[in-house]
Amino acid sequence: MGVLKTLWSKLKQAILALKPGRVTLGYPFTPREPEEGFRGLPRVDVNRCIGCGGCAEVCPARCIRVVDTDQTTRVLCFLHERCTFCGRCAEVCPVNAIEMTKEFELSTDDPHEDLVGEYHIWMGPCERCGRCFEAPSALDRLKRTGMRCDEIDAKCAIACPAGVEADSEETKS
Amino acid sequence: MTAEQVTQGLRERIGDALLESEPRGDRRVYMTIDPAEVVAAADELFNKMGGRYVITAATDRREKHGSFLVTHFFSFDDDDLYVILHANVPEDDPRIASITPTIPGAGWAEREMQDLLGVEAVGHPDPRRLVLPDDWPTGVFPLRTDFSSQDKPEASMEGAPQMTAIPEGAVVVPIGPYFPTQHEPESFAVFVDGEVVVGSDYRGFYNHRGIEKLGSSDLTYNQIPFIAERICGICGFVHSCAYCMAVEEAAGIEVPRRADYIRTIFLELERLHSHMLWTGVAGHIIGYDTLFMQTWRMREPLMWLAEQLSGNRKTYGMNIVGGVRRDVDKKDFPKIEKVLADIEREWTALQEAVPGDRTLTARLGNVGVITPEEVRELCSLGPVARGSGDTVDIRVDHPYAAYDELEVSKCVEDGCDTLARTFVRLRETPVAISIIRQCLEQMPEGEIRAEITEEIPPGLQGIAAVEAPRGESFHWVLTGEENRPERWRVRAPTYSNLQAVSTMINGDVLADVPIDIGSLDPCYSCTDRMTVIDRRSGQMRVMTREEMRNSRNR
Repeated sequence: MGVLKTLWSKLKQAILALKPGRVTLGYPFTPREPEEGFRGLPRVDVNRCIGCGGCAEVCPARCIRVVDTDQTTRVLCFLHERCTFCGRCAEVCPVNAIEMTKEFELSTDDPHEDLVGEYHIWMGPCERCGRCFEAPSALDRLKRTGMRCDEIDAKCAIACPAGVEADSEETKS
Repeated sequence: MTAEQVTQGLRERIGDALLESEPRGDRRVYMTIDPAEVVAAADELFNKMGGRYVITAATDRREKHGSFLVTHFFSFDDDDLYVILHANVPEDDPRIASITPTIPGAGWAEREMQDLLGVEAVGHPDPRRLVLPDDWPTGVFPLRTDFSSQDKPEASMEGAPQMTAIPEGAVVVPIGPYFPTQHEPESFAVFVDGEVVVGSDYRGFYNHRGIEKLGSSDLTYNQIPFIAERICGICGFVHSCAYCMAVEEAAGIEVPRRADYIRTIFLELERLHSHMLWTGVAGHIIGYDTLFMQTWRMREPLMWLAEQLSGNRKTYGMNIVGGVRRDVDKKDFPKIEKVLADIEREWTALQEAVPGDRTLTARLGNVGVITPEEVRELCSLGPVARGSGDTVDIRVDHPYAAYDELEVSKCVEDGCDTLARTFVRLRETPVAISIIRQCLEQMPEGEIRAEITEEIPPGLQGIAAVEAPRGESFHWVLTGEENRPERWRVRAPTYSNLQAVSTMINGDVLADVPIDIGSLDPCYSCTDRMTVIDRRSGQMRVMTREEMRNSRNR
């Protein structure tokens, strides 16, 4: 009886296994693009970016570095090697400059060379201290996008005291 | 048991040692007791009142309060009540009586407290090092606030734990640190007499990533969900969900109903793919690869569906404090329905075909037995508990997200063996499908995320429990300053379940041990979530011959 039961079970399993036919995809020889809305490699549109650094502030993996290389250039450096593709940077960007692309084939033996995205943003220099800044209004918008919580510290992230009253008092005295 | 009854009972037992009792709604009661009476209180809650022990957390509050906060969590599952038992342990004498002799399931949590915070559990039956690596110096406690997440202590082998005594005449068979059927690092030393297992020892926590430390020292509230999601490689969503719900409870953030429903959909999608994955892996462990191939084939469309809905097949990245980040649109419903219908059809066929197979029943029946009494003592959870007749299912017992409006049937078996645990998971799969369908039907319109305008004040507490595919995933958040928690405690279900392994495998033959362990659906990395390991401290090291010899003969 047990033997019959097992045979019957095996027969059912055979049907289950044969029915779907071949399911293996031809990838990578047949490329397959991810669906709409896929979170792949983030890319920055330098023409839109205002250099506020909001992306760096919210990044859970801490893989975005913001450096001012000279008085008018701010460099956004994305270390994609550590990126977790959460898309928070794109979400909080006040000007929608970051897009989560569909790129996902990122394997490389040299991540430090191949998986670094460097974006040079031209910034207007502050007339007083000479360092770069962006319009305070954009900052305000950013505050609304992330919860306070991810508020940009006007002193450290933006490096420019434009609009910060406390500083001007100090300089007076 | 209501909050008042619990308070009353404890007051009768320990009198004035119950310093404070503050119910919060009907579902939580926060108590502060004198640490001298902690064992009596635990005994009262666990043995007399029949509560379930959840976890212990210790917090370094020396800077502001001059003490360590030791917290034991208990749950009354029939009454939807969590009891939080705080005790302040003075900083100059960080010792508290161990509750492990009363509640065996607390063994690991207290050892962890000793390792990471340096709060000694006095009278612990097995106080060996648990979490910290072998070459961690003694007297350095990584979860204390004066230890920075960047600190790299000098390596020292002084505190390396010794293996438990081997029974007379037994031989040690190592399973791990890398073992073909266990896909994560873990190390069981199984003591065998001939073919029969007579004891075992576990050394794990090889996957520490210092997540709790990062959460309270480096990250911010809204960065943590994405890190939390990476605690587990299979059921990560439960962790980000539980974390967010804990913060929301602490800060009193009202989550829009639609967000609750979306969370529920993803939680159940995750359960579906996790149970299918497990069924396949279980088949693979016992050499039944047809099952492995077929369940994984069925599972794949589910992964594609998750990718379409959330943007990624596994790390959905949906949760954020206050709600979810992406809506599930009406136009996606047909896609979801189709995938569910396909899976349901094939799963029914599988459920009809597989249990009759002798390979399965012969290998799984009557092995890895754990009795209901042992389940209770060791505080096992999820399918392990439900396979032994325990009815704990957080979705029904402590409803969260949208489960209070949904019909969820508990799947309970009483075989107590690996086969029973298999049936629990096989039966839970269609239930998950039905829950998703209910969500799609009942999901209200509206916002998906609460607007958070104010900073979260420090000193608030919130807890959240989510029924992960493996059991209850429990998070406790104590809010802190600088936009991050002061303490974030994570207890993955495998943390409780793994402690039952030595009981389960005792008396089985060696060949059954891999599937016994596998029947927990163990998730070592979830369990290992904490401590900072510094791979660069000292030089790269290869195990010496002496150590190799010791690991065999210790």
